[in-house]
Amino acid sequence: MGSGLTSPRSRRRHHLRLPEAALGLLGLAPALLLIGALILYPVAYAAWLSLHDKHSFFPAERFVGLDNYREIARDEEFWDSLWRGTVYASATTALQLGFGLAAALVLHRSFHGRAAVRTLVLFPYMIPTIVAVIVWRWLLNDTFGIVDYLLVRWGVARQPVVWLSVDWIMTSLVAMSVWQFAPFVVLSVLARLQTIPPELYEAARVDGASAWGRFRHVTLPQLRAVLVVVVLLRGIWMFTKFDTVWLWGEGAGAGREIRTLPIYAYMRTFTYYQAGFGSALAVIMFLMLMAATAVYFRLFWREEEVT
Amino acid sequence: MAIRIRIAAVVLAAGALLAVAAPPAGAQEKKPVRVWHTETEPQTIAVINQIIADFERARPDITVKAEALAWGDLERKLTAALAAGAPPEVSHGQAITCASFAAKGLLRPVDDLVEVLGRDNVIEGFRNLCRLDGRWYGVAHSAAASVFVYRKDLLAQKGLRPPRTWDELIQVADALKEVKDGQVVRWGLTLTGQPLFVNIQVGELLRSNGGRLFDPEGRPTLTEKPVLELLDFYKKLNTVLPPGWTGHSYLDTFANLANGKAAMLYQAYGRGTGYIEKYAAAELANPEHFAVTDKVVGPSGKAPFAQIDAEPWMVFKQARHANEAVEFLKFFYKDENYIRYLHTVPIHLLPVLKSTAANPKYGDQPGIRKWRSWIDMQEAYFKADRVRPTLVTEWDEMKRPYLLEVMGSGILVDMVLDAVKGMPSAEAAGKAQKRVEDLLVKGGYLKK
Repeated sequence: MGSGLTSPRSRRRHHLRLPEAALGLLGLAPALLLIGALILYPVAYAAWLSLHDKHSFFPAERFVGLDNYREIARDEEFWDSLWRGTVYASATTALQLGFGLAAALVLHRSFHGRAAVRTLVLFPYMIPTIVAVIVWRWLLNDTFGIVDYLLVRWGVARQPVVWLSVDWIMTSLVAMSVWQFAPFVVLSVLARLQTIPPELYEAARVDGASAWGRFRHVTLPQLRAVLVVVVLLRGIWMFTKFDTVWLWGEGAGAGREIRTLPIYAYMRTFTYYQAGFGSALAVIMFLMLMAATAVYFRLFWREEEVT
Repeated sequence: MAIRIRIAAVVLAAGALLAVAAPPAGAQEKKPVRVWHTETEPQTIAVINQIIADFERARPDITVKAEALAWGDLERKLTAALAAGAPPEVSHGQAITCASFAAKGLLRPVDDLVEVLGRDNVIEGFRNLCRLDGRWYGVAHSAAASVFVYRKDLLAQKGLRPPRTWDELIQVADALKEVKDGQVVRWGLTLTGQPLFVNIQVGELLRSNGGRLFDPEGRPTLTEKPVLELLDFYKKLNTVLPPGWTGHSYLDTFANLANGKAAMLYQAYGRGTGYIEKYAAAELANPEHFAVTDKVVGPSGKAPFAQIDAEPWMVFKQARHANEAVEFLKFFYKDENYIRYLHTVPIHLLPVLKSTAANPKYGDQPGIRKWRSWIDMQEAYFKADRVRPTLVTEWDEMKRPYLLEVMGSGILVDMVLDAVKGMPSAEAAGKAQKRVEDLLVKGGYLKK
């Protein structure tokens, strides 16, 4: 058979051939469908809902335009929860970064039992939030918790500290959150540390750089990209953190002191039964994070261009 | 040919499989009934499961799936389930939850259940828990009143008598405080700061101070004198309670009382006898040491009031098998089942039916005999009509469909915390008043 001759079957195949662009789109379709259904639709629905006065479990709604947003601007609770959320996200992100970086540097060094310690350090990140919260609330209980028992026994405190009280609940929540989420920073930084070429350190040593100098002029610049991403991700995650904060404040009258924006949005939706107002809060949170991310990346890229 | 044979074999095999899997002719598909309840004690869950097993034997066409939920979680979970359009068939709920859901048209009336139980057989004090326009929308699974517990021996040692008024409570609590080597080893009083219970305290204390939360038009009355006095009282309480009491849960306060770290507990329930028997020294774990007395009266009040803890069973209209749920409830209230249930927490789960209360099998229980004085105190409050559901100061307020929203918003808890943290009472009350008004206006319950 010559090459110019084609069988009926191969002709049929030829007719069915799709343009490359269409094929590409077809390949992307499942992912696009999922993104549309799981991300775009909920966001669009929340935005639509935020323009309505909608009871949480009745099907009827009334269009109110931007009324919910105007009300939010005047709502003292919104500003309080925004402030608390910012304090919580900033404090936990900064401390996670500090502890995570320090732990990663230690774990990067070689010592006996390093593999076991590395596993242990990652442990808090692997256990479910509900378990972590219950265990910590138990450890910190002022009647039978070991922490207060030791603090009083060692003379650090005269009376047991009620960690879930008005005065301490934010501090204890921040400490618990840092314990739970710092391993993410450890993991990210450690992974990057292992890829820094040893020649850079050797060159720095030849140039007479001290340990601090090597950290400042070799390690930190090499870690910069990963730290930028870690700060961004952890900042967003801590600002939108719901489960840990909710469970920590649940059942404590002082829970009001840790009522962050996600908690307030949840309360408005499910305890005030104002789904429209709750959605408006969620939309505001979304826009704030988008804006913060854009500013953050712009600053980072500008610096990258300069350097 | 071979392919055809294979296809025929596959079809035959599939047919055989379907024939085996399909129910036999005449067999019915079981109707599932989901039951949500708030009894999380293991012995109660075990008895509920036994009752369900017995019911399923009697009614093989119905299958019941029970789920125990924490008290404080129930309302939120119900709301989420309603929002998703998938409520359980039947659930416990606070009286105000039941009233609110009934007013919103979410519940199926249960008059048919009440007919079987006997309208006159329901104890008078428990008939108003969830009725609307003459119809019953809920029947309480049991009833309890909050009680004031004190260590009789400790008060006697110091020559003190149980407090009768708010001022006396502060004085006695202060006098009972014990300090050793500069450390407080016993507090005079313990109180929970858990939001649900703060809501309960506010309603109960306000009623004991002759106050109310809403005027007859439904407008909040948080800036009235009784509320301001209540907030001043909280400020005083804050000076005699353990520091950080706002972080103490209901169970923490029982632990404090049972292990001797506190001498009085303002907001206790019969359930607490179980904790006392478990954690207090054996020679102390009795009503001669852990005694109950009247609640305290505020400066503007005339008589003490307590909270009635009696969650009605609610049957949801949206649920697929609401009628079957009512059948289950009829079975639940049969004396042989109901008494088993009540006996699991005997001093807290008191009967709502006269016939059960009169049944000798009910009274013949060691716990009931031992802690009789605790039950008598609760019954005295029921009989004198000195109990009200959470946030209700007058029975008429049960008609207000927004009490659930007020409770869930936490506005009253915030008001108390603001006062405790040092905000002047009038300012804290004014702030809360505005927030409740906004809530009611937005919900369409109140005109601006």
